[in-house]
Amino acid sequence: MDLNNVLGFPILTWSIFLPTLGAILIWLFLKNDTAVRWASLAVSVATFFLTLPLWLSFDNSTAHMQFEEFHPWIEAFHVNYRLGVDGISMPFILLTSMLTIICIVSAWDCIKTRVKEYMLAFLILETTLIGVFASLDAILFYFFWEAMLIPMYLIIGIWGGKDRVYATIKFFLYTLGGSVLMLVALLAMYFKAGQTFDIQALMAYPFDFDWQFWVWIGFFVAFAVKVPMWPVHTWLPDAHTEAPTAGSVILAGILLKMGAYGFLRFSLPICPDASQYFVPFIVVLSLIAVVYISLVAMMQTDMKRLIAYSSIAHMGFVTLGTFMFTQQALEGAIFGMISHGFVAAALFLCVGVLYDRMHTREIGAYGGVVGVMPVFAAVMMLFCMANVALPGASAFVSEVMVLAGTFSADQLYEMVISSKWVAVAAAISVVLSACYTLWMYKRVIFGDLVKAEVKAMPDMNMREFAFFVPLIVLVIWLGIYPLPVLDVMHASVANLIEQATSSKLPAANALAAAEMLQHAVAH
Amino acid sequence: MTPLNFPLPNVVPLIPEMFVAVMGMGVLMLDLFLPKERKVIGGYLAILTCIIAGLLTVQIGMAETVSAFYGFFVQDPFSSYAKLLIYAGTALAVILSLDYIKNEFGVGEYYSLMLFAMLGMMIMASAPNFVTLYLGLELMALCTYVLVGFQRDVLRSSEAALKYFILGSLASGILLYGISFLYGVSGSFDFATIGAAIEHSGSGAHFALLLGLVFVLAGLAFKISLAPFHMWTPDAYEGAPTPITAFMSVAPKVAGLVILIRVLADALPALNVEYVTIFSWLAVISMAVGNLAAIAQRNIKRMLAYSTIGHIGFIMLGVIAGTADGYAGVLVYMTIYLFMSMGAFAVIVLMNREGIQGELLDDFAGLSKVRPGYALAMGLYLFSLAGIPFLGGFWAKYVVFMAAIEAGHLYLAIIALLFSVVGAFYYIRVVKYIYFDETRVAFEFVENRLMQATVAVTAVAVVAIGLYPQPVINICKAALGGII
Repeated sequence: MDLNNVLGFPILTWSIFLPTLGAILIWLFLKNDTAVRWASLAVSVATFFLTLPLWLSFDNSTAHMQFEEFHPWIEAFHVNYRLGVDGISMPFILLTSMLTIICIVSAWDCIKTRVKEYMLAFLILETTLIGVFASLDAILFYFFWEAMLIPMYLIIGIWGGKDRVYATIKFFLYTLGGSVLMLVALLAMYFKAGQTFDIQALMAYPFDFDWQFWVWIGFFVAFAVKVPMWPVHTWLPDAHTEAPTAGSVILAGILLKMGAYGFLRFSLPICPDASQYFVPFIVVLSLIAVVYISLVAMMQTDMKRLIAYSSIAHMGFVTLGTFMFTQQALEGAIFGMISHGFVAAALFLCVGVLYDRMHTREIGAYGGVVGVMPVFAAVMMLFCMANVALPGASAFVSEVMVLAGTFSADQLYEMVISSKWVAVAAAISVVLSACYTLWMYKRVIFGDLVKAEVKAMPDMNMREFAFFVPLIVLVIWLGIYPLPVLDVMHASVANLIEQATSSKLPAANALAAAEMLQHAVAH
Repeated sequence: MTPLNFPLPNVVPLIPEMFVAVMGMGVLMLDLFLPKERKVIGGYLAILTCIIAGLLTVQIGMAETVSAFYGFFVQDPFSSYAKLLIYAGTALAVILSLDYIKNEFGVGEYYSLMLFAMLGMMIMASAPNFVTLYLGLELMALCTYVLVGFQRDVLRSSEAALKYFILGSLASGILLYGISFLYGVSGSFDFATIGAAIEHSGSGAHFALLLGLVFVLAGLAFKISLAPFHMWTPDAYEGAPTPITAFMSVAPKVAGLVILIRVLADALPALNVEYVTIFSWLAVISMAVGNLAAIAQRNIKRMLAYSTIGHIGFIMLGVIAGTADGYAGVLVYMTIYLFMSMGAFAVIVLMNREGIQGELLDDFAGLSKVRPGYALAMGLYLFSLAGIPFLGGFWAKYVVFMAAIEAGHLYLAIIALLFSVVGAFYYIRVVKYIYFDETRVAFEFVENRLMQATVAVTAVAVVAIGLYPQPVINICKAALGGII
């Protein structure tokens, strides 16, 4: 088999398993908490540098998979260890390796119990997350997708807040319940498509409409829970609220993206006709997420819950853009995922900074924080503005692209409702997001400094400031100059649009074949 | 008078059985000469017996199919592999007993009974014939009744044994009744002959056949605790000494499933439509009862009893599929289940002193702070039982679901997967006790190297199979070479 790997080095395997390898070594040899912290930091930084060549050596001009690897794994079921990335999956691997460093640094002082287990859980989680984005075999994908539940269950359950047990069991069961239907869909496809789990082969296989319909639903349940889309979003506010800060960061930053990534990797290219068929359905759910959930967010008194609902609303934008089948909307959606990865992560870190000082997330417990923590107030303002998608922040780019792409989708597709109205409705949420974000900011940061506990809060220390710096840089840089990231995905997104808009149905195929024949005869 | 023509039967395939029988008697007699504090030697001998029997089974050949005693005994790859699982299950259960049972009355008989129970299972695994099947089944059952009630001073142990005995006898009777119908139609006890006779029997015999099928299946379903014939399981599991609970959770199930597959594939293939319908319902009921009732349990032995019922429901998917892949899936499932279940029971036994502690879920609270190693192992077994990947349990479910979907039972697979989500709840709830909760009672542990090694080996096996299941799958597939 011809593997497209310019580095001639199994970089994806190393990126996936280096964190686990490090975790095993730390588990075996280190006892002291400080040593564990430094070693985990070293492993995560090493992983980040290991993933950098994925970006640097990436060939922007092609939609083909790159850095491919292939090994037979379970021959009895034709399950293979097949890795590779394209312009859609590669940015997420870097996002994962970067956010893991931030997670580890952010937990430096505030996690005091079972430090070793905590770090191990995050390193193993990193393995599963990178694995999800690098897998080109459906079962391998599922393997990592589900394995992720174990460390995440422990992270929320051991180091979480008051209602952590309820939150983590809910998270676990929701996600597992969603994913098992995906497993059925994968197994059913395996037999239909001639015994293969190769994602690219499945993309190419002409499933008939009934088949696509059911498989699409199987995928949808799994991905919608993960995104999460209304009405299966209820696990997210609980999980976010109860998770430790770094757990929320990784949940918002990466885990939610896995669902949307699943739509891009499975639903659109494997079931293009079903995807077209379900566009109105997705649009309605996305608009509910965008508008209704924004209103729900406004009513929250708990900062983390508010940001959690804001995440659902922003992911509504992503699902909307995903199912518009225009280059602009799709790129906007992917860019939005990356941008949201930074912004939501940063907002959770901001709450974490406050929580470490006051041990409460209630908005009402704060007020006038700017008086005692001016640097923090400035940082948080920046990310609140980014959350509102102010021009200059990365979120602005994505929302404009999604809205513009949605607006223009009409010219390409006939829809039940005009996509112009969809764009208008979605635009309302931009206003709503300003309402809830800025209102929260106002209540926490401004106002009179009356509470004694708040008066005693020290400003951020160097360590805390340190993990905001890369996020600040990236949010502003991508807001002003998004081209490098967009360039990476152009070819892959164009290819995906091509796949998602070419019908797999026999009638259409016959038509296309007849046209080709006519061309041949004419020449 | 003509001399009797009496050729010596081919005894080679029976060498492991004969060896185990001799050793069982040997352990029993040795017990008379051992002083009380050295009775445990019987246990070590029993472990040694399992190991040597395993070597013998491998030595006389896993590959070929040999029939002996005029078709009353068959040795083929299927039975040989099943026997290896049975040896492993028995040996691990003996290891768990070494410390647990040492203060009981009649330790020597205990190990001897385990060996005879194992012998019964071995005979079951090799039975090509209802007579052999019944002999093996009863030998196993009688020994297990006694073992369940072994702590005769403990009320619940005696109660469990009595319940198990009465219901078990009833099931045996039902099985015999069913066999009599099949015999009436075919005039034979031999599976293959019955299969051929049914093939050629007219429609007039259909009703009798159906009766025979239903009664035989009910009898066998009882032995593998398939709902609604599971009633004895929770009580017997809870009342039995914990090592015996571990023993019952694997080895008899292997033997029961092997014999079930043989009966279905050899004797009743013509009734495929009927038994698939029956088993589909039983499997769904089993998954429902097992997974839902387990949620309500506070005693982990009872919880694992219901969990076994649920797992048998999943395993039935492989039987229902009725293909070589499906039957291989059953073996794969049982192989992986052996490690998960034995490991989990090993941790329970290690936490067990004076027969009480370590049985309630509450007793696990905060285990991870006291014994992180046991906690990690237990966590791995539980996630594996829940079927989460990178652990073996995921592939166990995967193989049977895949076989079921391939055979066209998509709905059944979907139902099974949804019940596996329900099942995940009570497994991860135990993880919650172990990892999230604070210690409530002071822990006491049995310090036994062999048991600790069991925990380590089973935990490693669960992870290793989870990461690379290929060898297990290949061996199980090869074991099915002869049967279909």
